[in-house]
Amino acid sequence: MEEKLVISSSPHIKGPKTVRGIMLDVIIALIPACLASLILFGWKALLIIMASVASAVASEALYEKAVKREVTVGDLSAVITGILLAMTLPPNVPLWIPVIGSAFAIVIAKQIFGGLGCNFVNPALAGRAFLLAAWPMHMTRDWLNPLTYDAVTSATPLAVLKGTGQGTLPGIKDFLLGVRLGSLGETSVLALLLGGIYLIARGVIDYRIPLGFLGTLFVGTLVFGKPGAFFQGDGVLAILAGGAILGAFFMATDYVTSPVTARGRLYMGIGAGFITLLIRLWGGYPEGVTYGILLMNLVTPLIDRFVVPRYYGYAHDRAAKEAAAGGR
Amino acid sequence: MISLKRTSGGVRVDDKKDLSAGSPIEPAGIPGELVLFLSQHTGAPSKPVVKVQDLVKRGQLLAEPQGAISAALHAPTSGKVKAIEPRYHPIQGRLVDAIVLEPDGKNEVFEGVVPRARDLDSISGEEIIAFVREIGLVGLGGAAFPTAVKLTPPADKPIDTYLLNGAECEPYLTSDYRLMLEEAEVVIFGFRALLKAARVARGIVCIEDNKPEAISAMQRAMSPFPELDLAVLPSRYPRGGEKQLIEAVLGREVPPAGLPLDVGVIVSNVGTAFTLGKAIRTGLPLVERVISVTGEGVTRPSNFLALIGTPVSYLIEKAGGFSGTPGKVIMGGPMMGISVKSLDVPVLKGTSGIVVLKKEQVKKDKMLPCIRCGRCVDACPLRLLPVWMAAYAERGLLEEAERARVLDCCECGACAYECPAKRPLVQWIRMAKSEILAKRRAQNHARK
Amino acid sequence: MKRSLFHDFIKGFVEENPTFRLVIGMCPTLAVTTSVVNGFWMGVAVIFVLTFSNVFVSLLRKSIPDDIRIPVFVILIATPVVIVELVMRAYLPAMYEILGIFVPLIVVNCIIIGRAEAFAYHQPVLNSLMDGLGIGAGYTINLMVIGGIREFLGTGQITIGSVSFPGTPLFEPAAVMLTPPGGFITLGLLMAALNIAVARSENRKKARRAA
Ligand code: SF4
Ligand code: SF4
Repeated sequence: MEEKLVISSSPHIKGPKTVRGIMLDVIIALIPACLASLILFGWKALLIIMASVASAVASEALYEKAVKREVTVGDLSAVITGILLAMTLPPNVPLWIPVIGSAFAIVIAKQIFGGLGCNFVNPALAGRAFLLAAWPMHMTRDWLNPLTYDAVTSATPLAVLKGTGQGTLPGIKDFLLGVRLGSLGETSVLALLLGGIYLIARGVIDYRIPLGFLGTLFVGTLVFGKPGAFFQGDGVLAILAGGAILGAFFMATDYVTSPVTARGRLYMGIGAGFITLLIRLWGGYPEGVTYGILLMNLVTPLIDRFVVPRYYGYAHDRAAKEAAAGGR
Repeated sequence: MISLKRTSGGVRVDDKKDLSAGSPIEPAGIPGELVLFLSQHTGAPSKPVVKVQDLVKRGQLLAEPQGAISAALHAPTSGKVKAIEPRYHPIQGRLVDAIVLEPDGKNEVFEGVVPRARDLDSISGEEIIAFVREIGLVGLGGAAFPTAVKLTPPADKPIDTYLLNGAECEPYLTSDYRLMLEEAEVVIFGFRALLKAARVARGIVCIEDNKPEAISAMQRAMSPFPELDLAVLPSRYPRGGEKQLIEAVLGREVPPAGLPLDVGVIVSNVGTAFTLGKAIRTGLPLVERVISVTGEGVTRPSNFLALIGTPVSYLIEKAGGFSGTPGKVIMGGPMMGISVKSLDVPVLKGTSGIVVLKKEQVKKDKMLPCIRCGRCVDACPLRLLPVWMAAYAERGLLEEAERARVLDCCECGACAYECPAKRPLVQWIRMAKSEILAKRRAQNHARK
Repeated sequence: MKRSLFHDFIKGFVEENPTFRLVIGMCPTLAVTTSVVNGFWMGVAVIFVLTFSNVFVSLLRKSIPDDIRIPVFVILIATPVVIVELVMRAYLPAMYEILGIFVPLIVVNCIIIGRAEAFAYHQPVLNSLMDGLGIGAGYTINLMVIGGIREFLGTGQITIGSVSFPGTPLFEPAAVMLTPPGGFITLGLLMAALNIAVARSENRKKARRAA
């Protein structure tokens, strides 16, 4: 009867959640947006997504092989990076753009810093930022007309809003469905919201980040939306017209690059919304979501250092704060 | 009913209580040998008053308390003292002196075991405290802190509330649940005795909402007594921890390194109240307790009234033996209990359950890098930041770990349970704690 | 003695590579390395100044008072810098235009002061000469490599004088490589690569010694 019994430290049971399961949930949540991009922009969208994912997974595997680390593509995080990067690209870019972007995202932004959990900026957004800086012409001009699939280089709704481009704004219904110029996955608001709500319901992401992000953008645009005239901006349009929803639900919520405390995540959302607002209203680019989130990624360690909960049994925040600040 | 104040952290756990919740409490019987450690409890070990070869009867004193924090030890059944020798202590993990008793099977009761009082009017508070000390009562929730010490707080710490902990938030365990269901009246009687002894005006019975039958049974039993109140807690691990209970029910927070009495509260376990209630009426000291023997790895999950000192192997046998290949045998609950490597170890006064997990259930999860998801932070009932504490501990950064309040961690395991990367957070935290404490001891030593 | 002279020369390439190992002289490294040619001329200017200043610091090392050695170094360095500047302006006006402020700034380039302070001030003239040549040459190679990579990726080809290779860009050039971020990325990756290579070879050496 004397069997070999395992001795280990408590707890002796572990919860059902796994990293892979969480990543799978994120992929599931991205499916509606992927399907929407297929309908809106046709086979070109499919090719871009496939190229991006394939490049992300391959770069991760190759890099890990090259430096003799364990190959971790099984955790699916590279797949997510690939899909997310594809979502941010204009639908008519040449296929080498997603390939290079994903490779950059995985190798330079993620693996060089130690792989999953060690990157300090969101890899997909870092990839996009690199592409934007390297080939600005492709990244700002290669649009496709939704449903008709005609290549156009006219101005996106955001550029129209900003006054740097000519064109007419689509109606609210078209915005919701995604029938407008824009990146692959950012246009269909409904599909994105579907995925976002799924993630919140499954407990994968914290609602505070999108809430803080979109809330700040909404209120900020409402108040400062038109130069020289307060309370004349259109907050709803600000949320619908760019990549704010994609960014708020899928990019800013990336675990590795967002704070670990609930309050910290709210601040991160607000910060990203605020920077996006600044760039959109007063900056040089029509869109600021990418840099808004990337900059808040950089601030995340700082937030983690100073935004700490009031520990049980300690009367004031201060003691805990000092403890945390001194501790790091 | 008391409305809850504030709760933080906690995790939803698959509680697996169904396994043994339906099994009524049954006597486990008398094993061939009883091993009674002289340190069953928190505090100084007790001192034997019997010699090898002595014949003793059920309820007879075997060892008396030594020092302020200690407890008496009695013979669970009649028989012969076979030896007083060091045995392997499952909790302390080393050899500890124990009285080994060979039962004679007659189960003769000691002459001194006589009922103390029919009701609480015929016994004074002081008498109750003396009696509690006499019967060697300790907290039966796990820590086994001598109850008599709890009942006599220093004069400058007025106590206004007594909490009866029936939360039983550890998964699998059902011993408190069965007690409340079957013996609600005795539990309430014992609880009122505790209230009287501690001179506390208000008593609150705390039960998690996943035990509706226990709630109604207890409600019925306590309805005649206006000083008693009920608090129903959402079932989230570890809501039944002492500190968490006080926060949830009273909105007070025990200061770090403090005790409940620092915020005017005493907490006792349902089993403790039951033992006292029964003892007042029968005179029988703490010689037996209810133990859940459960888990997927036993054939017939049961709740036993087992003699203190019964070997684990005997109880598992009684529960129908192993079902399948056992992978892990845990004394206590699966979240905070201790896994044992041999089944020869005896149960202690503080053992609330024995959980057997199958071999398939104890597969080793592959540890992944931390993805900073913050789940451990959300789970921590003390609102600590396990992700950092563990990271410091892992790297041996003891000072940083200490400043992150690693010493406050109650090792409840909620963080490690939730971690999707399956990181052994509690193990690292525990390591840092013991290293910090060892360092402190060395420093104190050097100063002296 | 001979070996040591040779070593003083060769150490500037890997062991004490100013850019990647000592991480000094970073401003011009990032600022002017948008092409091979820029890197080359900047390097040449540094070789000249460094060798000149090393030799003179070493010659005068016994008579320079310790307390005011830094001002003296600066004067000794400023002289060749002015020479370089005037020569460049006269014979390579286009290049001078591109390198701009970074030529006069060689005066405060930490490579030069650093070598004066750490090496030439304590070493004989010949060794200092070799050190200046070696470190300068290493620096030049660094600038040319970084410049080459950035030029190639940023314009799709390498242009030296009026000759471009290949004649037309091979691919769509990545504009980012000619901007400061591109400089940082290139620098970081090269630094990592060299450090890995050095660590590996040292490990191998250690292993061989142990065997
Ligand atoms: S739960 Fe695990 S993976 Fe998540 S932050 Fe905590 S330690 Fe890291
Ligand atoms: S084990 Fe410690 S750190 Fe982890 S949840 Fe419990 S109290 Fe918090």
